[in-house]
Amino acid sequence: MAIDPRHVGRRYGPFRNTVCAERIQAFALAVSGGVPGYFGSAGGEPHPYSVDEEAARRSPHGALVAPPTFGVTFAMTAFALACSDPELGLDLLRLLHAGQEFEHGAPVRPGDVLTTEGEIVEVHSKGSLDFMTVRTETVNQAGERVLVARWGAVIRT
Amino acid sequence: MKPLADFHAGDTFELTREADRYRPVYYAAVSGDFNPIHIDPEIGRAAGFPGAILQGMCTMAWLADACSAYLGDPARVKRLRVRFSRPVVVGDVVTFRGRCVAVEGPVVRLEVEARNQRGEEVLRGATAEGWVEAV
Repeated sequence: MAIDPRHVGRRYGPFRNTVCAERIQAFALAVSGGVPGYFGSAGGEPHPYSVDEEAARRSPHGALVAPPTFGVTFAMTAFALACSDPELGLDLLRLLHAGQEFEHGAPVRPGDVLTTEGEIVEVHSKGSLDFMTVRTETVNQAGERVLVARWGAVIRT
Repeated sequence: MKPLADFHAGDTFELTREADRYRPVYYAAVSGDFNPIHIDPEIGRAAGFPGAILQGMCTMAWLADACSAYLGDPARVKRLRVRFSRPVVVGDVVTFRGRCVAVEGPVVRLEVEARNQRGEEVLRGATAEGWVEAV
């Protein structure tokens, strides 16, 4: 069944998220092939600015900076809620993440307090496939925009 | 850090990452994406895949790592865009081959191919933009 276009404009959030150094480091480590947590190990080569506090202190940023896709930790909630929203009634077993866009503003650093709001901005059907796009926008405690993201889902109907 | 003058159209870069058995679980732990399709092989099979499939966002994080390494700073990555054209399953090895297609003022435009060990494209139309301050 095609997604009802009346859901366009449905909003999720705001969500607040406080960024901590350990989460940035664990994210960078796990993505680069390491093991996060108590039994952790280094994997590939995470960028030092996201894991090595000393290297980050000497960098132009003066502190750790989050990897470019760290936004998943604070902005994906809106997309996940849209995908599992009972009002939409999407079948999660037939839903896949189809596409993703990130537009970065100010770097994300430990201590940042982020606020994210999301909205369904597009739904359409093509053949036996339904598509939905959720747009999220995240600002930091200074009101600077840190991320605009578009999260695309495809549902095999 | 690598200065703007050192970026040229035609530059290439490469990164290889493996979706080892526990990668979807580790990625779930650090990202919060515990969708069962990524951590439960039975659910993956019920959805029509050989088993659990890696989070697309992890594949995208690998792409971002490749671009960050080339640009010299994760905070220089200002735009990323991908379409997930084929799921990455446990055991897959993905190679990212990137190319700088243009340097326009401070903007460094990148295009990246991502293929699994069978040569199949797992991302389509992957592009990135770096922003490199002139010093």
